Amino acid sequence: MNPLLESQLLINRRQFFSRTSTGIGVAALASLLDRDLLQAQTKTGGLPDLPHFPAKAKRVIYLFQSGAPSQMDLFDYKPKLQDYQGVELPDSIRKGQRLTGMTATQATFPVAPSRFKFAQHGRSGTWVSELMPNVAKIVDQVSFIRSMHTEAINHDPAITFFQTGFQLAGRPSIGSWLSYGLGSENQDLPAFVALVSQGTGNPADQPLYDRLWGSGFLPTRYQGVKFRSGADPVLYLSNPGGIDSTLRRRFLDDLSELNQLKLQEAGDPEISTRIAQYEMAYRMQTSVPELTDLSKEPEAVFELYGPESRKPGTFSANCLLARRLAERGVRFIQLFHRGWDQHLHLPKQIAGQSRDTDQPSAALVSDLKQRGLLDDTLIVWGGEFGRTVYCQGKLTAEDYGRDHHPRCFTIWLAGGGVKPGISHGETDDYCYNIAKDPVHVHDLHATILHCLGIDHTRLTYKFQGRHFRLTDVHGEVVSKLVA
Amino acid sequence: MPLTPPRWLSFGSLVAFALCSVADASGQVSGKVEFNRDIRPILSDTCFTCHGPDKANRQTELRFDLEESTRADLGEGRRAIVPGEPARSELYRRVSAKDEALRMPPVHSGRKLTDGQVDLLKAWIEQGAEWQKHWSLIPPKRPNLPSVKNPTWIRNGIDSFILHRLEREGLGPSPEADRATLLRRVTLDLTGLPPTPSETNAFLADKTPNAYEKVVDRLLASSRYGERMAIRWLEAARYADTNGYQTDAARIMWRWRDWVIDAYNRNLPFDQFTVEQLAGDLLPNATLDQRIATGFNRNHRGNGEGGIIAAEYAVEYVVDRVETTSTVWLGLTMGCARCHDHKYDPLTQKEFYQTYAFFNNVPESGKAFKYGNSPPFILSPTPHQQKQLQSIDRKLVAAQARAERLAPELTAAQAVWEKTLRPSQLIHAAPTDRLEAYFPLDASTLEKASETNRKKALRGEFVDGKDEYVIGRIGLAGNFDGKRFISAGDVADFGFYDRFSLGAWIYPKGNKGGAIVSRSKEVPQESGYSLLLDQGKVQLNFVVRWLDDALRIETAESLAPNQWHHVMATYDGSRVAKGVNIYVDGKPAKLKVLLDELNQQFKSNEPFRIGSGGGPESRFEGLIDEVRAYHRALPADEVAVVANPDAVNQIAAIPVTKRTPALADKIRSYFLAAAAPEAIREAHQQLAALRREKEDLIDSIPTTMVMQEMEPRRDTFLLIRGAYDRPGDKVPTNVPSCLPPLPATAKKDRLGFARWLVDPGNPLTARVAVNRYWQMLFGTGLVKTVEDFGSQGEWPSHPELLDWLATEFVNNGWNVKGILKTLVTSATYRQSSRVTPGLLQRDPENRLLARGSRVRLSPEMIRDQALAASGLLVEKIGGPSVKPYQPPGLWKELSGDEDYQPDTGENLYRRSLYTFWKRAAPPPSMMNFDSAGREACTVRETRTNTPLQALNLMNDASFVEAARVLAQRVMIEAPATPEKRLALAFQLATGRPPKTEEQKVLLAGFERHLKEYEQNPKAALNLMISSREFPIDERLDVCELAAYTAQASLILNLDEVITKE
Repeated sequence: MNPLLESQLLINRRQFFSRTSTGIGVAALASLLDRDLLQAQTKTGGLPDLPHFPAKAKRVIYLFQSGAPSQMDLFDYKPKLQDYQGVELPDSIRKGQRLTGMTATQATFPVAPSRFKFAQHGRSGTWVSELMPNVAKIVDQVSFIRSMHTEAINHDPAITFFQTGFQLAGRPSIGSWLSYGLGSENQDLPAFVALVSQGTGNPADQPLYDRLWGSGFLPTRYQGVKFRSGADPVLYLSNPGGIDSTLRRRFLDDLSELNQLKLQEAGDPEISTRIAQYEMAYRMQTSVPELTDLSKEPEAVFELYGPESRKPGTFSANCLLARRLAERGVRFIQLFHRGWDQHLHLPKQIAGQSRDTDQPSAALVSDLKQRGLLDDTLIVWGGEFGRTVYCQGKLTAEDYGRDHHPRCFTIWLAGGGVKPGISHGETDDYCYNIAKDPVHVHDLHATILHCLGIDHTRLTYKFQGRHFRLTDVHGEVVSKLVA
Repeated sequence: MPLTPPRWLSFGSLVAFALCSVADASGQVSGKVEFNRDIRPILSDTCFTCHGPDKANRQTELRFDLEESTRADLGEGRRAIVPGEPARSELYRRVSAKDEALRMPPVHSGRKLTDGQVDLLKAWIEQGAEWQKHWSLIPPKRPNLPSVKNPTWIRNGIDSFILHRLEREGLGPSPEADRATLLRRVTLDLTGLPPTPSETNAFLADKTPNAYEKVVDRLLASSRYGERMAIRWLEAARYADTNGYQTDAARIMWRWRDWVIDAYNRNLPFDQFTVEQLAGDLLPNATLDQRIATGFNRNHRGNGEGGIIAAEYAVEYVVDRVETTSTVWLGLTMGCARCHDHKYDPLTQKEFYQTYAFFNNVPESGKAFKYGNSPPFILSPTPHQQKQLQSIDRKLVAAQARAERLAPELTAAQAVWEKTLRPSQLIHAAPTDRLEAYFPLDASTLEKASETNRKKALRGEFVDGKDEYVIGRIGLAGNFDGKRFISAGDVADFGFYDRFSLGAWIYPKGNKGGAIVSRSKEVPQESGYSLLLDQGKVQLNFVVRWLDDALRIETAESLAPNQWHHVMATYDGSRVAKGVNIYVDGKPAKLKVLLDELNQQFKSNEPFRIGSGGGPESRFEGLIDEVRAYHRALPADEVAVVANPDAVNQIAAIPVTKRTPALADKIRSYFLAAAAPEAIREAHQQLAALRREKEDLIDSIPTTMVMQEMEPRRDTFLLIRGAYDRPGDKVPTNVPSCLPPLPATAKKDRLGFARWLVDPGNPLTARVAVNRYWQMLFGTGLVKTVEDFGSQGEWPSHPELLDWLATEFVNNGWNVKGILKTLVTSATYRQSSRVTPGLLQRDPENRLLARGSRVRLSPEMIRDQALAASGLLVEKIGGPSVKPYQPPGLWKELSGDEDYQPDTGENLYRRSLYTFWKRAAPPPSMMNFDSAGREACTVRETRTNTPLQALNLMNDASFVEAARVLAQRVMIEAPATPEKRLALAFQLATGRPPKTEEQKVLLAGFERHLKEYEQNPKAALNLMISSREFPIDERLDVCELAAYTAQASLILNLDEVITKE
């Protein structure tokens, strides 16, 4: 990076929301407090040369399905498998590729076809499983990638790979890259928000990690802020008992005054930044509860998102919250829904898990569309890898399990920047290998960045002497997907 | 002092430029251009990717990392560089080309040269294009102290370099900081805690010329110093209390942390500090401490996720060691050469793997244990435990001697007693120590057995069939028909970490076999443990998930059916197959390990079952008798006793000389327990008690992971593209060739490597170390890129000073406290940190050091200071990690598993370096203030300024409580006026009394709050309730205390309080 640019960033870097505040007075700050929401939406921070070209999407809502959904039970229709029920997966298909330690020592690899019915939907005639009746209704707004593949075979490295472009922890997550590159459109909220929920599928599913929305080697202010259900949506947001908002306001006035005295004496601009940060903290104390308070949403909205949307902390409530975050200009909103790791008793678990996600995911797309936000919001739905066509554990007519499968799986995109109503890529009849148009995780990253007006090869950060990027040294934009 | 803006200010107020020769707008370059300082960074960043050391990426033969290549004929007489003639130099022609198609670097590279950089290249060629080896690879030479115009300012060598540079820039130093500020600065810097008011007063009152030096000596001698130094080292060493992947369960490495604190406190010279951590185990007669020290390179994460491929992660661990070691000691980004030759520095991929070979000889698996420490680890008793062990050992020797003295008497008494035994009355006996469950399976004698020893002689219920007993091996035996079994209740609840033994007499009828005992689900291969007979082979199973999280071991030979056998399995709690023994008829059997993949707790809620385990298919067919479960791993001699069917009185009939050891042991132990004279019995009981006490003590001793070597050494291969499954050529063990070679006499192992690192001839180690000390005190290193001293790293702001410090460090025997003393006693360090607008414009990052540094405190200092100011801080050096307050739910919402359970009492108030560090969910108040994440080595300090920090300081329970306790403290300690009390609170946090204007704000705020709370005492009470655990002093008025609490919180939130001024 050129030094002049770096210096400008250095000044901006002092602030989480990157508003230049050097020298800004208390009075001026106070006057900012009553600004309405829309006025607050001005782009701040980010790299000056971004976007590289006009962006289709301004923000992303990433519905991460943690644990890895089974593609052939949801979106990748494989009618021929019915004939292979219980038949050993042919070596010509398996090709001796590596398996996880969980099934590598299994004596047999019998094919387990999906026991769920598929039907065609929409003008596009897209095949969707009966597990996803609501997503089936919006297929014409969705573009499916059936040929995703990844390198990792286990959850921790695979989910880390999706989040950071690298299997081992330590690199910045995609949201922090965007927060660094594009800055924020709302000074009262973080640019990157993470929300987590537990599904009804596998309750003992894979854990998540704070680092999944961490900033790696980027400065920590770019890290995602996890919003939680409950009294404190952001950690330490609420005042302690006995300190109400009036007392807090006076406290902050006194604090500003004392810090101003210090500023006059010490001359360090960092002190003005600190004053500004306290004012922003105060604003967050109002703006965040207002944001997370769903009570004023009309009845029709709850009906759209389903009954669970009234229950804080569910995937459904988080989808609704995601819409509210998107309305307020939050750059990257990422939901993590646990429960898809269904090694055993998959049919039962996936039914519950699909119920959790089907209606709210579809509702989010429709809701954004109604509000005119779908055009500049990119939605991504998917997990960290797929699942095997062969059975893990005992195979019966009614029951089966599936192991991890990195070689092919389905994710879907909707909204800003992608072609609606298409399916990209194909897998073979066994849903084991990709037959056409493979899309690697790096390619997906490159494509997401492209939708946001970013050339992924030019979004770099110099660390340990290297110009790092989200896609490392790989990745091609999937041009067939791009609108 | 007037500031005359030099020409280059027109370029912007960038200090990076201030440190170089710079071209002005008209392309004029001032001064001599220096290759290392001015040119190499340009070439490295812009050209090396395609014209550099990495042969895979090289587009042409032309390389800008080698002087010869730039001077060679490129064809038709063209040369990249013709010294003195830019116009004939292809380098200049191409970078200055107007035509985009010709211009370098090409557009697609995304790189671009500025006009200033092009001018610099031109000037350098004009001046003769003098080449230099990369500066950091040339060993530091002791520079002469430069002359200065104002020598009176100089306190030591550091100041000569700083002032020389300032004078050259037309600047001067700032005055010395006032004494209170200076004392707070140095106290925080050297101990991580603020000075107390009495320390401040003593220093202000001390008018002797060496008052400050005395303070420095006092601080360096304080044991707080080691704690302060340890925290940064922990970050560099990626220390954490969990394993880091997936489940991210706990590990035990705090004994290594203790070692680090202690090493700093006893001022272990840095060379030894290095050698012991990298290779302490290889030192002659390595001590326990030296082995604990090697935990440095076991602090990396360990993957225990089900289904991983062990070989893949085995590589990652070694790579991590190389990356960490090279960052910490060499300031080199060696990890870049894992997949290909380094793109900027002279490090080939082959050299990466040669260095890798030093660390690739650890007997470890890539699949770590999911819970706890993974091998190799050792028992690491604390000093206190070591004393306890010694004391028990002394007592054991004495008790042993006493028993031996009584031996003749014992033999005689036993002989007399044996004669009294009547053959008709059969006495059966077996060891009873930690016998958890005993099923005689004698229906008729059951009631009696239960009365005498209710806990141990148990009966269960027959299920799937009627009770049936037949004549057994001893008394009666249970008769099992392949359907019925005994459900025996909640006994023998053993698991992962338990030592235990399971045994019984069995009489298999035919070849069916089946389960002997179990605690597992009644489904095949389900979780739990089971001992069974499978096709005649005795088999032990521990299962969490079949195949990938299970252990299965069986005897190599089959048992003959239709006869009695005694079988017993013992397990030592080590979680690996090696920890299992199976005995048949009292003798250790040859074993076959079928699965050794145990990874998690296999305890089961199912009842203890006899004759069943794993479902109806595997019910036992035959007789089972005398089932015993011990909560310890029985040694072979005791198993032999248990497996002996003879009654004690039958043994008595055998002549002493004809008795086998098992027979002799059996009758002896029965006699000792039941009939020996009081003195003898007591002596043996004491011996047994001491042995048990020692076992318990050993059980309580923490383990710690260490480095170990294998013999023969594991071969190392270059890995193509760094992939674990693509080995290339075998490589020897060696150091990179851009650095001095290993001495011919050095062994090519970690010890040789460690000694090579701290050889005074190594150009990097001392520079890298002193640069980090500089960063610790001044906020930024002399080389800002503390982790990278390679071509892409920053040129030092004061290269000669860096070399002076490095040579000073080595010449003084790598004395860490010594070099820190030199740093903090310099005039440079002692300057005021006041920022003037002129200086801010001129040098915003303060790299020239025309003033003291003003930087925000580190996360742990912010919390520790609040604890110290309030008096809450509990000072105790070392020990296991503690769990202070944390908002509830943070662990649970990520994993659905157990949540964080905060400690109570003094563990809430320990220094933050002891806070339990879970990698998947690190302590939020540390992360909010830019703590390193502990995933990988971190040496650069970063500081941001965010609203989350504001919320954290205002509302986090730790800080609310600290405010309340600080309020309480000043109400008790200060005279009863608000002025005095507020002044004391202010003094405790800032190290100085408040000024009049500040006092006015504090006082007005206090009165306002007091009025508020007096009108609404409930609010005051609420504030007290939210200030957590520490008791409220009942003597104090709650409203008043609440008002002081609000003001104390205000003080703890001041910018000055969280800043080192």
